[in-house]
Amino acid sequence: MTRLRANQLVIDIPGRSSGQPLDFMVEPGQIWGVLGPNGAGKTTLLHTLAGLRSPRSGSVGLGERSLAEWKRRQVSQQLGLVFQDRQDGFPATVLETALIGRHPWLSPWQMETGEDERKAREALQALDVGHLQDRLVNTLSGGERQRVAIATILTQSPKTWLLDEPTNHLDLHHQVAVLGLLKAQAKRGCSVFMCLHDLNLAARWCDHILLLFPDGGACWGASEQMLVPSALERLYGQKLLTVDIDGAPVFVPATTTGTQSS
Amino acid sequence: MNTLRFLVFLALMALLWLPVSAGQLCARDAFDRDVCLTDPAQRVVSLSPGATELLFSAGAGKQVKAVSAWSDYPQEATKLPQVGDSNRLDLEAILTLKPDLVVAWVDGNSAAQLERLEVLGIPVFWLEPRTFQDIARAVEDLARLTGHENPGSVRASEFLAGIAELRDQYRDALPVRVFYQVWHQPLMTINDEELIGRAIQLCGGDNVFGHLPRLVPRLSAEAVLEANPDAIVSGGEGGEDRRWLEQWQRYPDLKAVASDNLFLVSPSLIQRPTLRMLAGAEELCQVLEQVRARL
Amino acid sequence: MHGYSRALAVLGLISLACMLLSVSVGSASLSLADTFSVLTGTGTSLQQTLVLDLRLPRTLSAFATGGLLAVAGALMQVLLRNPLADPYVLGLSGGAAVGALLAMMTGVASAVVSGSAFVGALLSTFLVFGLAHGTGSWTPSRLLLTGVVVAAFWGALIALILAMSPARQLPGMLYWLMGDISPAANPFPALILLIFVCLLVFPLGRSLNVLARGPMQAAALGVSVRPLEWTVYILASLLTAMAVTIAGSIGFVGLIVPHMLRLVLGNDQRLILPACAMAGGALLVLADTLARVVIAPEQLPVGVITALLGVPTFLYLLHRSR
Repeated sequence: MTRLRANQLVIDIPGRSSGQPLDFMVEPGQIWGVLGPNGAGKTTLLHTLAGLRSPRSGSVGLGERSLAEWKRRQVSQQLGLVFQDRQDGFPATVLETALIGRHPWLSPWQMETGEDERKAREALQALDVGHLQDRLVNTLSGGERQRVAIATILTQSPKTWLLDEPTNHLDLHHQVAVLGLLKAQAKRGCSVFMCLHDLNLAARWCDHILLLFPDGGACWGASEQMLVPSALERLYGQKLLTVDIDGAPVFVPATTTGTQSS
Repeated sequence: MNTLRFLVFLALMALLWLPVSAGQLCARDAFDRDVCLTDPAQRVVSLSPGATELLFSAGAGKQVKAVSAWSDYPQEATKLPQVGDSNRLDLEAILTLKPDLVVAWVDGNSAAQLERLEVLGIPVFWLEPRTFQDIARAVEDLARLTGHENPGSVRASEFLAGIAELRDQYRDALPVRVFYQVWHQPLMTINDEELIGRAIQLCGGDNVFGHLPRLVPRLSAEAVLEANPDAIVSGGEGGEDRRWLEQWQRYPDLKAVASDNLFLVSPSLIQRPTLRMLAGAEELCQVLEQVRARL
Repeated sequence: MHGYSRALAVLGLISLACMLLSVSVGSASLSLADTFSVLTGTGTSLQQTLVLDLRLPRTLSAFATGGLLAVAGALMQVLLRNPLADPYVLGLSGGAAVGALLAMMTGVASAVVSGSAFVGALLSTFLVFGLAHGTGSWTPSRLLLTGVVVAAFWGALIALILAMSPARQLPGMLYWLMGDISPAANPFPALILLIFVCLLVFPLGRSLNVLARGPMQAAALGVSVRPLEWTVYILASLLTAMAVTIAGSIGFVGLIVPHMLRLVLGNDQRLILPACAMAGGALLVLADTLARVVIAPEQLPVGVITALLGVPTFLYLLHRSR
């Protein structure tokens, strides 16, 4: 199993001084959550881990080699990335969009077979958008488009999932469904690494947390150790109230007076 | 007695009109306007190579103070200052010369531009010779406006006489089917209304595209192949340029190619509507005679 | 996928029909029977010359040019991820025109004019690419902007050349600018290039489909984005340069044909690109036939016909896509 690894990785955000070097390994079965305020570099980190951006220093490792030594096609057989926003230049159906997930597995001379289509359809079904397979993607709602994007990665079936705010636009029911799907993938031996803006989702679903502070600092580790109110308050610059529900902490921003304003 | 008095009365009446028109030199231009000068023009500006030639032919060479670009005949014209080309004229330069007559060409110059000169009181005389008569009349008109009425008249008559002679000479000649090539890309020719077309008729030739409505039609090679003329004549791109004619060698089945009836004529003689057209027509007639000999 | 072979077969038949029409029709009257006899080896010498030496090379040139332009247009639209891109958007036709007009001004032979056009087109490509490269970031919008600016520059040069040329050369220059199939051209280099590109499309096609989703998405799915973009850009430029060399700048084919086909056939480049080659070729052959016969024996430049057909078609498509 080729593990994704950050080796003294410093991400490159133009105009900002170098942050703390990141050094961690994502093991199979782990679900990582990246938390931080806007502009902390979550998306940049994800793109750097996927090999789409160069780090300022350090490297990203995949298996024994560094990411840079891999061929792009082989990388995409191991890593899948769900972007935060999408560019849909030309009209395409939902099924076609899911099918492009098979691209890394097909040689240039191969056409998509029935088997590939079946995989794509199953993925769409798993994300509850199977009924939309012949619709054009630009006619979908935000939530439906998000689920199609996740279905594309499911079709790609990489060993490591990188997701940038996968629960955006999703209603509560689908949020739970998607995170449940990711958990099931992790159970099967994949690893999941996702950026979340919702602290509580991270608390409930992730077993490892990486905190990216706006000043460039970072810390990472098991959730129990990271989800400490003092650290989180420093992260978000916001006082928090903690409550324990169903075995996991829930964090609520505290208002300054402590009471509800009318 | 009464009749005599009546006749004297008429004579006196006629004499009365003389002073009114005696001082005016008038000519009707291509736009049907009468251009009248009280004195012969002394400072003339010519706005096309054709007009330049016609002015010199009219005897007014010394009165021409400036010409347009490409006015290369006669030799004296090349020494004159130039004021621009076709519709890119330098109006300021023209005005600085204080002309008392400007000679313009309908196909080449822009009426809008020259209107401004007329507003400032400078007479503009427009030319558009479409027939041999037009060329003769142009020389006469220009001669009258520049004070060379008699010599101009003589030259015009000589020209027309020469044309009439050619017409007589070749009136009963065997018709030769001709294709005259003006340009290669696009492939252009002329119809019967054009001066070159008229020259072809003069020489007893039959312009295969003479019937087309446009003065300068643009064709395809196919049309020429179908027409299959006896001879192909061209002025070329200037100078001794046989390239266009040689391109027809690609079609060895063409009558003109098979009999080697591909002729280059001097473009400056035949493609300019001036008195040299007579020499151009003579050259063309000799070419057609050669073709007749081979038919 | 069987839908693909069917669509391509239909387009192939339409192309053949158009070419047959083009070869049978012209300012010289030739019946269909005569045309067939020539094509099968008999017929008079004049008929043979007409059909085999004049019309057939012209038809093949028109087909090749139309195909080249349509494929180049489709490639540009994928590269720039903009359905309004056409092969000339990066100043290619302007560069070719400047090359051709300069050659004409110095009075050289037509072969040199064509060569000069080709060189001008490629020069323009390198110029735009070099200028747009900037600090490593080679985005479509930067490329488009540079292309528009370079095209405007060529436009200014063209105006200058037209203003300074002797009046007697103007008809020839304007004729070249309006776009017309040069009768003396050899169609085979263009046809070979077209066939080669259509074959190349197959391995590149799916990568292009993915690239159309955006470079980041494509990279994440294993596409080598930069080399692919380079390849597409060079291919599109080569195709366009070849087309412009044969026929001047014929507009609308490169813009309209990919659009129309996408409306009917979807967005798979493996189908669209060969379909563009055939549909573009057929369209230009038809336009050229019209240009040759509408006011026969007089000829219209084919660029005029494509513009007259193209504008209402384009407006209609815009209306449909709302």
